[in-house]
This record gives sequence, C-alpha cells and structure tokens, in this order.
Amino acid sequence: MNSSRNFLILIIFTLIFSASINHEALSDESSDVKKELQELRQMMEQMQKKIDALEEKNRALEQQAKQKEKLVKEETIIVEEETDLTVIEDPVQENQSFLSKIQNTFNPEISVIGTFAAAYYSQNDPIVFAENDPENTGVNVQEIEVGFKSVVDSYFRFDLFLSFSTEGVELEEAYGTTLFSLPLNSQFRIGRARAKFGRINQIHRHNQNFVTLPLPAAQFLGEHLNPTSIEANFLVPVPWYLELSASGGSPDVETPTFARDENANDIGKLLYIFHIANFFELSESLGVSLGGSFATGSNGTAAGERSNLYGIDLFVKYRPLKNNPYQEVMFQSEFMYLDAQTPEETLENWGWYAELVYRFAKRWNSGFRFGIIDTNTPVREVEEGVDIEPSNLFTSIRNEEGEEEEGMLGLLGRTYRLSPMLTFNPSEFSQIRLQYDYLNQDFAENQHAIFLQFQYAIGAHGAHPF
Amino acid sequence: MKKLQYIQGVTITIILFISIALLAQNALAQVQIVTSVPDFASIAKDIGGDKVEVVSLAKGYQDPHFVDAKPIFVTKLNKADLLVYNGLELEIGWLPILITGARNSDILVGNSIGHYNASASIKDKLEVHTSPIDRSMGDIHPGGNPHYMLDPRNGIPVARGIAARLIKIDPENAAFYEENFKSFVNALKLKISEWSEQLAPYKDTKIVTYHELWVYFLDWAKFKQAGTIELKPGIPPTPSHVADLIKNIKAQDIKLIISANYYPQKTPQIIAQKTGATFLALPTMVEGQDGINSYIELFDVIVDEITSALKNKKGL
Repeated sequence: MNSSRNFLILIIFTLIFSASINHEALSDESSDVKKELQELRQMMEQMQKKIDALEEKNRALEQQAKQKEKLVKEETIIVEEETDLTVIEDPVQENQSFLSKIQNTFNPEISVIGTFAAAYYSQNDPIVFAENDPENTGVNVQEIEVGFKSVVDSYFRFDLFLSFSTEGVELEEAYGTTLFSLPLNSQFRIGRARAKFGRINQIHRHNQNFVTLPLPAAQFLGEHLNPTSIEANFLVPVPWYLELSASGGSPDVETPTFARDENANDIGKLLYIFHIANFFELSESLGVSLGGSFATGSNGTAAGERSNLYGIDLFVKYRPLKNNPYQEVMFQSEFMYLDAQTPEETLENWGWYAELVYRFAKRWNSGFRFGIIDTNTPVREVEEGVDIEPSNLFTSIRNEEGEEEEGMLGLLGRTYRLSPMLTFNPSEFSQIRLQYDYLNQDFAENQHAIFLQFQYAIGAHGAHPF
Repeated sequence: MKKLQYIQGVTITIILFISIALLAQNALAQVQIVTSVPDFASIAKDIGGDKVEVVSLAKGYQDPHFVDAKPIFVTKLNKADLLVYNGLELEIGWLPILITGARNSDILVGNSIGHYNASASIKDKLEVHTSPIDRSMGDIHPGGNPHYMLDPRNGIPVARGIAARLIKIDPENAAFYEENFKSFVNALKLKISEWSEQLAPYKDTKIVTYHELWVYFLDWAKFKQAGTIELKPGIPPTPSHVADLIKNIKAQDIKLIISANYYPQKTPQIIAQKTGATFLALPTMVEGQDGINSYIELFDVIVDEITSALKNKKGL
C-alpha cells in the first residue's frame, strides 16, 4: 500500500517538474504556451482526480482489511466462550420431546415380533422337524417373540425373550451379561441363553433366512439348544477376531440330543459346551467366520450315558461397500456329528446344511438351502431286557395300521431337503417370504411343501443380523 | 507324567498369551479413539494429532444406518479409550451389540468419559417429534433427524465435546488439545463464512432430495426442500410418487436434485432426465469420495458442486 502511494507522489513530482521546464523554454511563444499550460492544467486535474480515486480505493481496502481482522477477533472471542473445555455435557438431551422423555425412563426396550406361515403340505400328518416350523396345511403361528432388553447397572445387562406359540410360552432366553472389563478380556453370560454352538443356534427365528429350521439343527439341537448355564467367553488378543467360549449348565428342557440325568448328582454329568469363533476380514467387502463347537452331556437313556456333539460352522459374506451397497451374498454352512451312547449301542448320526442367500436389492433377497441328515447306525428295535429310558433318541414308527411302534432307537435313514426361497421386506420391520421345501427320505414318500410367511416387528429397533 | 507335561505346556502357552496381551496394551500410549463414522474420526484427528490413534468403524461411502456389525469391530472397541458416535438412532442397528461385546468399562453408557454420544452436544435438533409417531410414517427417529453433521456449524460443539473428553482422558496433553481445538474452530468458522458467501446468491432455492438426509444442510444453506424421492424415510419410491414428483418439479421449476452417493441413483437420474433438473450424487461424510480427508474438505466439495450446478442452470 505504501509503495503505491510513493509511486503516485513520484508521478506527480515528475509531471510538475516537466511542466515547469516546458514553461521556461517556451516563454516567447506565449499563446502556444498558454494553450499548452491549459492542457497541462487539465491533465493535472485529471491526474489529481485519479489520485483521489485511488486513495479512496486504498482507504476502502484498508477499512475492509480492518473489518476482517475485527471479525476474526470477534470470532476468537466467541470461540473462547465456547472453549470451556472443562464441561462435559450430560448425555441427557435438551429440548426433550414427550416421546423421548418416555424413552429415557427406566423402562427396558420392548420388542414384539410375530411370525406366521400359511402352509401347504403334500401329505396328511406331514413330517415336521422343528417345533416352530409350520405344523400343518393351513395358517400357522410359528412364533410370537417378546423381548425385554436393558442394562441393569454399569456392571450387567439383562435380556429376556419369551417365545409364545399355540402350545404355550417358552422361556427362550433370559440371561445377564457382564459389561465391565475383566481379566483376559472375558465376558460372562449367566442364565438361560441360546448356546454358542455353531451359528444357526445363536440366531433367533425371525433373523433366520428360511421358513424352516435347517435339518441338522432341528435333528441335533432341536428348535434351539438353550441350557441354563454359566458361560465364559474370552476374546483372545490376536490380529483377527478370536473368541473362546465354555459353558456348563443343565438342559432343563429336553432336547433331541441332551437330557437331564435324573439319577445323577454329579457336576461331571451336566451339559458342557465349548465353542471357538474366528472372524477374518479379508477385505472391507469380504468377511469369513469359521467356528468349531463341541457339546457333551447326558442324554437320558440311562444313568451315565452321554451324547457328544461336534460342529463346524462357516459363514462367508460378500458385500461390496462402494458399488451396489445394498447387494450382498451370504453363504452359511454347518456340519454336525453326534455320537450318543445308549445301553443298546452307540448311535452315530451326522448332518450338514449349506445355504446361499443373495440380496439383489435393498428390500429383496433370494436363496437356496440344502440340508441332509444320515446315520451310520440305522434304527433298530431295543432288545428285551435292556434297561433304557425312552428319550428323544427314539424314533416313532407307525405300522401299517397307523399305530405307533415303541422302542425304536436311532434314525431311520437318510433324509435330505431342498429349499428355494424368495423374501421381500416392505420395510425394516416387516417381511414376506415364499419358500418351497422338497423333502426326500429313503424310507418314506417324498414330501412337498409351500410356505408363505409373514413377519411383523413392533417396538424397539432391534439389531440387524450379521 | 505325560498328562502333567501337557498341562504344563498349556499353562505356559496361556501365560505367554496374557503377557503378550499386556505388553501390547502397554505399547499403546496413544489415546485410542473409535468413532462410528469418519466425520468424527477426522475431527478427533485434528484435535488429537499424534497423541491419538483414531479408527472409524463405518466407511464414508457407506449408508451409516446399514453397517454390518462385524465381530472384528468388537476387538477395536475392546481397546478404545473413547467412543464417539452420532446417536439419535443412526447406529441403532449395529453399534449397541458391539458395545455389549466389547467388555470395556471405559466406553459404557452412563457417565463414562469414554462414551460420547455427539448428539448430546447439538442444541438445535430438527424434526424432533412432539406429536405421536408410528412407523407407518417411515423409518423416523423420535429424538430428531440424525444427520446433523451436514450442518458445518455443528462441527464446533462436537469438536468441543471431543476436546473436553480428550483433556479428561489425557490431562498431560491438555494444552495441546486446547490449541488444536481452537485452530480447528477458527479454520472452520472462516470456512463457514466463505461457504455462506458462496451459497448466498442462491438463497431460497428449492431442492429435491432423495432421503430426509439434508434437512440440517438445507436449513444452514437457506435452501428449501421441495420433496423427497423416497416415499417416506427408508421406503423406496413408487411409480405414482415418481410421476407426482416429476409434475411437481416441472411446475415449481426445480433445478436441482441431490442425494447421498450411497443411495440408488437410477430413479433420481430418470427424474432428472425427464425434468431437465440436475442430479448430484454427493458425498455426505468424510472419505465419502476420494480426496475428502477432513470435515472442511467435505463441505468444500458439497458447496462447490451445488453452487456450480446452480450457476450452470442460471446461465442457461
């Protein structure tokens, strides 16, 4: 700014100087000189005007700069007011609406999820594997799940899920979880919970991908394996996700594989379940879970007789985050092997299922599942004189007159099922699912079934399944 | 004897594991910050500098409502000293379950310093529902519209919240955090007045958006929302809704349709073609597109794209 002013002064001096020289040299030719003088005066006046204008511009610029400085200063003052960094806001929100006030009271989160299925089976008295699978041709209540969830205090949270069906109410889950830091990164769940055995057993019905439960899960775990137990989970500090779980408890509801040993008063005869879960993030779009499970406990056929159940689970999810963010492909598979000791003989059964689900639009997905169960020890009649309690390891067979024959132990043979499905989610809270089941058993006629399932969720927004 | 040796072996392995874990924890002298979305991560980095290590769970080009609760996130939260998240139910489908699994008292709800629901710092929330609501109105959030970070002015209280917590967690570096906070806020304020100037000529421009995502932005930019392409929040458009919208856009002479770059772009493109409006698929979070690495750069891009689109339209 100063340099431009100096420059202007210099110009003015030069002009005045040159004008005076001209005046002296041309004093004789007065008329010409007068003319020129006039011209020069005019020029000078013009220059003066220009200088004035420039100076004014200069002043304006200076003022602007000052104003800006002032603004910045004002802003820093405001900032200083906001800079009280010793205050931590209360997590409670201001300007609460009536609704959020209700939410902020001590009520637990409540959710209700209803699942209904219209079904058509190709035969009377259809073969159904799991408790909450559609029971018969017609419209069936599969499950009404009522959930209550809340933190208890800063040490525990408590989750309760009741499962209502036409047969009554079942305590599906009711367990406390430790929230605080414990040595070895451990976390405990105490109460009745879906056991950490494989993958499908930890997924509630309404988050599963098919209308019916996979065959091996239904055969070996039942609707779900949910013993009342103490479960310890350890997060192992490795670069990937590795969790080791161990639980001990009692299967106070009889399952197809395990039962309470009524005659034993021995903690060695409780149900023990071990699980190892790995998750590898291969890329931001591709994740792989690989797990192994082992469960051992008495099976109720006689005192001291146990079942050992082994499982391997694999889950792969591909979801491209950058393009088509709502499309995803999921592959889920589990293998289970059971050896069940009985006074008659040791039964060896196995099962496997694999399902592939493709979400091709935000609200649509389609999938296909294959499931199989088979046995190395086909069903046999219990010999007379063997002391054996009837349990779920028995199979009921109807004779030609339609009467049930008692005392048949083990599985009948190979069973497999193919299930294509198509699902539409009008919103996050409702779902319509169409599924076809083809059931093939090497000891009975094939069975066909078509399901149209409706599902509604009200109340608290639940966790998205992963 | 063999059994004993075996037990010994197992014990030694376990002890090794524990000591590795403890060593690893000691080595991490920096404050570990986990944020739900990258906006908070970028602000935390600006304030924490090299005294913090920041990781965001969601990516900037991802719908923050539909993030997979990957188990690997649990391991990140397990080590966190500070969790910063958006709140107002934005992360309700995936974050609570991760916090439960994290086994980390430091980031639990309640009065923990390490648990920062940033919406607590936002004074003027929009679309707070005071009348009864239900989900037939779409996927609405009772506590207010959660997309408040799209108003750059809200970056200031959030930065303050993060700085205040960092000072509590790591008091040794309090002066450092305070200095960084001040320079962040000063830079942001200067930028806000710049952006406001850029946007000023287009005051009261009517804009159609894809989702109710832009209410805070439109409120700040003094634009008017003239409708959404979604029928209701979270519910994709029906053909009749699209037809109505096209009529509306033509009748009101709306020049601009904007959407987050993670939403479906086919329908907005078709609507733009049929009406002559310009469609912009904009980044809505830091790292939402290559080259956006800070909260300020995010608004540089958003404001630039919108003003240049409107300028072109005016020129026609």
